[in-house]
This record gives sequence, structure tokens and C-alpha cells, in this order.
Amino acid sequence: MRLRRVQAVVWKELTDLKKNRGLLLSLLVLPAMLVVVPIGTVFAYASNPEDPNLRTMALYYDPKLPMNVSAATFLIEKALVDWFGMFLVMPIFVPILISSQAVAGEKERRTIEPLLASPITAVELVAGKSLASLVPAVAISWVAFAAFCAGVDVVSWHFLKVTLMPNGMWLFGVGVIAPLFAFFGNGIAVVISARVAEARLAQQIAGVCVLPVVGLVALQIAGVLRAGGAYYAIQGAVVLVLDVLLLVAAVRLFDRERLISRWT
Amino acid sequence: MPGLAIDARALTKSFGERPAVEGLTFQVQEGEVFGLLGPNGAGKTTTVRMLTGLLRPTSGEATVLGLDVRTGAEQLRRAVGLLTEQPGLYDRLTAEENLRFFIKLNELDEPAAWARAVRYLERFGLGGREKEPAGSYSKGMRQKLAIVRAIVHEPKVIFLDEPTSGLDPEAARTVRDAVAELASEGRTIILCSHNLPEVERLCARVGVVKGKLLAVSTVRALRRQGASVAVRVDGEAARFADVVKALPFGPGALADGEVLTVTMEKDQDVPEVIAALVKAGARVHSALPAERPLEEVYLDLVKGGEA
Repeated sequence: MRLRRVQAVVWKELTDLKKNRGLLLSLLVLPAMLVVVPIGTVFAYASNPEDPNLRTMALYYDPKLPMNVSAATFLIEKALVDWFGMFLVMPIFVPILISSQAVAGEKERRTIEPLLASPITAVELVAGKSLASLVPAVAISWVAFAAFCAGVDVVSWHFLKVTLMPNGMWLFGVGVIAPLFAFFGNGIAVVISARVAEARLAQQIAGVCVLPVVGLVALQIAGVLRAGGAYYAIQGAVVLVLDVLLLVAAVRLFDRERLISRWT
Repeated sequence: MPGLAIDARALTKSFGERPAVEGLTFQVQEGEVFGLLGPNGAGKTTTVRMLTGLLRPTSGEATVLGLDVRTGAEQLRRAVGLLTEQPGLYDRLTAEENLRFFIKLNELDEPAAWARAVRYLERFGLGGREKEPAGSYSKGMRQKLAIVRAIVHEPKVIFLDEPTSGLDPEAARTVRDAVAELASEGRTIILCSHNLPEVERLCARVGVVKGKLLAVSTVRALRRQGASVAVRVDGEAARFADVVKALPFGPGALADGEVLTVTMEKDQDVPEVIAALVKAGARVHSALPAERPLEEVYLDLVKGGEA
């Protein structure tokens, strides 16, 4: 594998991304929502901690909750644990948006043949496209996480007088699990993009892979699943295995002959 | 003495059960401009893709600049330039960014390669426009930029797949001029086209493809394929057309004023034609070898290929 050629692909993809305003805007909407919504939730709990409805909600999740424990504090802590599951949608979704454009977009715009006629190998191409999608995805996740921490601490400070974020679970999650999920989202997008002709179709199909994550969060909110550090670590381990499988599949699907004969 | 740039032997490509091209055997000398003629779907692009290492031949062999298309594909892609049918430019990137990307992919010395690219841009009339997005270029400009991209790594062999397809006459002319300039530098050029005047103008030799190679020859020899003779007679030549057509070997006859152009399969039949004309009372002034329009020869070959 020649590093210069991988760098060339990363350079081209990032240069193109900077000029794609529509895609940049879509990349910012989801992170903004995933930051603003939990901050708003924490604010709602912290701004009126004596609301009797909060105890009703807290008892739904933990019927044995002692009376001397603040329902607002319990719900804030639970919201922060559960929201990490939803936060993982971001590192999956951002690479899906970028990689679908980067791979299926090449076919759609008929730029793939000159690219494949260059000396680049399939592994270099997959590596370059993936890096160009993973780096922004992880960077956006980390910036969003920083904004999330600051926002949560600001809105909860007047009630709790302690900083809640960042905590160990979130730091481990955003530092280790989020990149694994980003790799997963990228792998799915690359594999699907290698099989379909349009970036939009690739995004739609790949987007379906976000649904299980959303489903897990829904089960957490419904009180069926109890999330925590170990729970997220198991998710991370499962995704790591899937990442390896997707990487192998992506390299195999990036066969010149297949791409050329099917899509040009 | 120039060596062989391309040596294809029984080159065949099938997609599943469907053969795209079968048994192509031809050679191209270094520095030659070789035309691959054929209708849409004839296998020209498939042939180019095999010769540029993009598709693996199903059977047969081919070397380009001595590199085997099966085993040396990566080296081959470094050694040849390909202008695809669609320019395939990144529209949001500027012309400079498009070229720099391919300079990087080819691992060239970037300052030197960029200086070379600038010279080509200027030669092709794109000088000073390199900071503009490729998406803002006209069709002809895009095609010329794609040509610069195909040659920025100084390949010895350049494949041009339908370089003027879909261009207006003015843009097509500027692209043809660009190709002629490249040819004048002594590069080997393979030009795929069904634009016959373009092929006639640019190529010394052509191969006519329609699934199989129907003919490989110089343009001149192709135009003289089958015997054709222009007979000048006294008065209206049309009077003698039926006399010629009635001959047992079935020649064709086309009259234009005093000239009767007779086409037949073999040169050996020319004396019989003259004898028949004289016998019918024609005063023959001259009988000279005539060249058929390339279009006519091409259509005959392609029609024959369908049979």
C-alpha cells in the first residue's frame, strides 16, 4: 500500500467536502440536534426539580427509588446514560453521508473510470475514502461531545452545583466506542455504495443500519433495557467484530472489474 | 526503428455468457496513431479497457509497452493515459485541483508535473482558467482538461475513447487539433471513434471492430479495398452503366458525367470491364484506380460483420 496515494484520496475527498455546502449542512444538523435535545432535557429537569411529575417518572424507571434521592437528579443521570446510545447515531450517520457521496457519488458522476485507470489499488482507495469519512465523523463527534458537556454543565449547575460532564463512561464511549461505530457506519456505506449506482440510494439503504441503534435507545427509554458502561462496552465489542467483517467485504467489493463492468 | 507499442493476440472478453469482443489480433507500432472504428456496442471501449488494465481478458494475450495486461496491470496504468468517453471531472474542484489529484495519484514530482500541466493547459487554450471549478467549463473545455489529465504523467501510449463525442463542431475541432498536436510529438495514440472523417484525418491505420476484428489496414488500403476503377469515356458515362452491371462477376457501376466508377471484388477483372465497354462502343480515355469513401467501406465491413 502506497501512503502517498491514500493521502491523495483523503486530500481530494476533504477538498471536495469543503465545497459541498449541502452535504456540510446535513452533517451539522444531526449533531446539533443530538446536542441540543439532551441539554434541553437536563435543563427541563434542573429548572424545576420539585415538580411532582418527575418523581412519577423516576418511579416508573426505578420503583425502589428512595424518597431522599432527588427525582430530578436521578432523571438527569439516567438521561445522560441513555443519551449516549442515541449519541452513537452521530458517528454512524456522518460517515454514511460522506462515504455514500464519496463512493456511489463517483459512479453517479462518472468519475470512477478515470480514477480506476490510475495506478491506485483497491485497498488504497478503500483506505483513502474511509479515512476521509472517519476523520470528519470522529472530529464532529468530539466537537459535539465538548459542546454537549459544556451545555449540560451550564444548565445543571444552578441545581446540582457540581459538573456532571464529562464522566468516565462518556469519555470511554466517545473516545473508543464512537470511533468503532464510525468505522461501522463507514463500512456499511462503502459496501452498499459499491453495489448501487446512486449516492442517495446508498444513503437510504445504509441509513437503515442506524435503526437498530435507535431501537436499543427506545428500549432503554421504555425501561426494558438498562444501559451502563458494561452495556455500551458489549455494544462496542460486537461492532468491532462487524467492523472487521465489513472491512474485508469492502476491499473485496472494490474490484476494478466489477466496478467498471457494472457501473460505467 | 520503432518497436511494438501494443501487441494483442486472440484477445477475448465475455461478460458471463455474452461475448463482448472475440479473438482480436492486432499490433500497433510505437509513435503510430491507430484508429479503432466500430458502431456503438462493437467492443471498442471493452478493448481499450483490457489494454489499459481495467478489465481482465477472458482469453488471449496482450502486451502494452511490453507489459502484460494481466500481470502488469498496475504498472500498465502508470505507463498509459486514458481519456474516457465521459470526461469524469470533479465538478466542485477547480481544474488545478483535478489535475493535482491525478499528479498525486501517479506519485509524480508535484512542482515539475504541475509546471508541465500548466504548459499543456496553455497549449490547449485553458491557460489562466485553472482556478475555476471544472463544473463551470464548457463541454469542449472539459474534454481538453480531461486530455491534460490523461497525459500529465507523460504516458507513451494514450487511449482516447470517443474524444469528440457529443461536442459541437467548434469544440470538436479544438479537441481534434489537440489530438493532432499530441500525435505530432511522436506518442502512440489509440483513437476509438465512429466519426469517420476524424479517424481519416488523424489515423494512419485503423482496425474495424464489431465483436470481432473485421479489418486492420491503412486508411488508404481500406478505401481501395476491393478493386475500384474510374473509367473516363466520351459523352455521358451513364449509357454504359448497364453494360458493366451485366458482366457475370457482378460489378457495381456509378456514373458521374463522363466518369464511370466501377467496383468489383478483384483487380484481375479490370481488363474485362474495359473490354466490355469498348465492345459496347465506348471510347475509353483513361482507367485509373479509384478510392471509395471510407464511410462506404466501413458500412460494407460492418454490414458484412452482421451476416
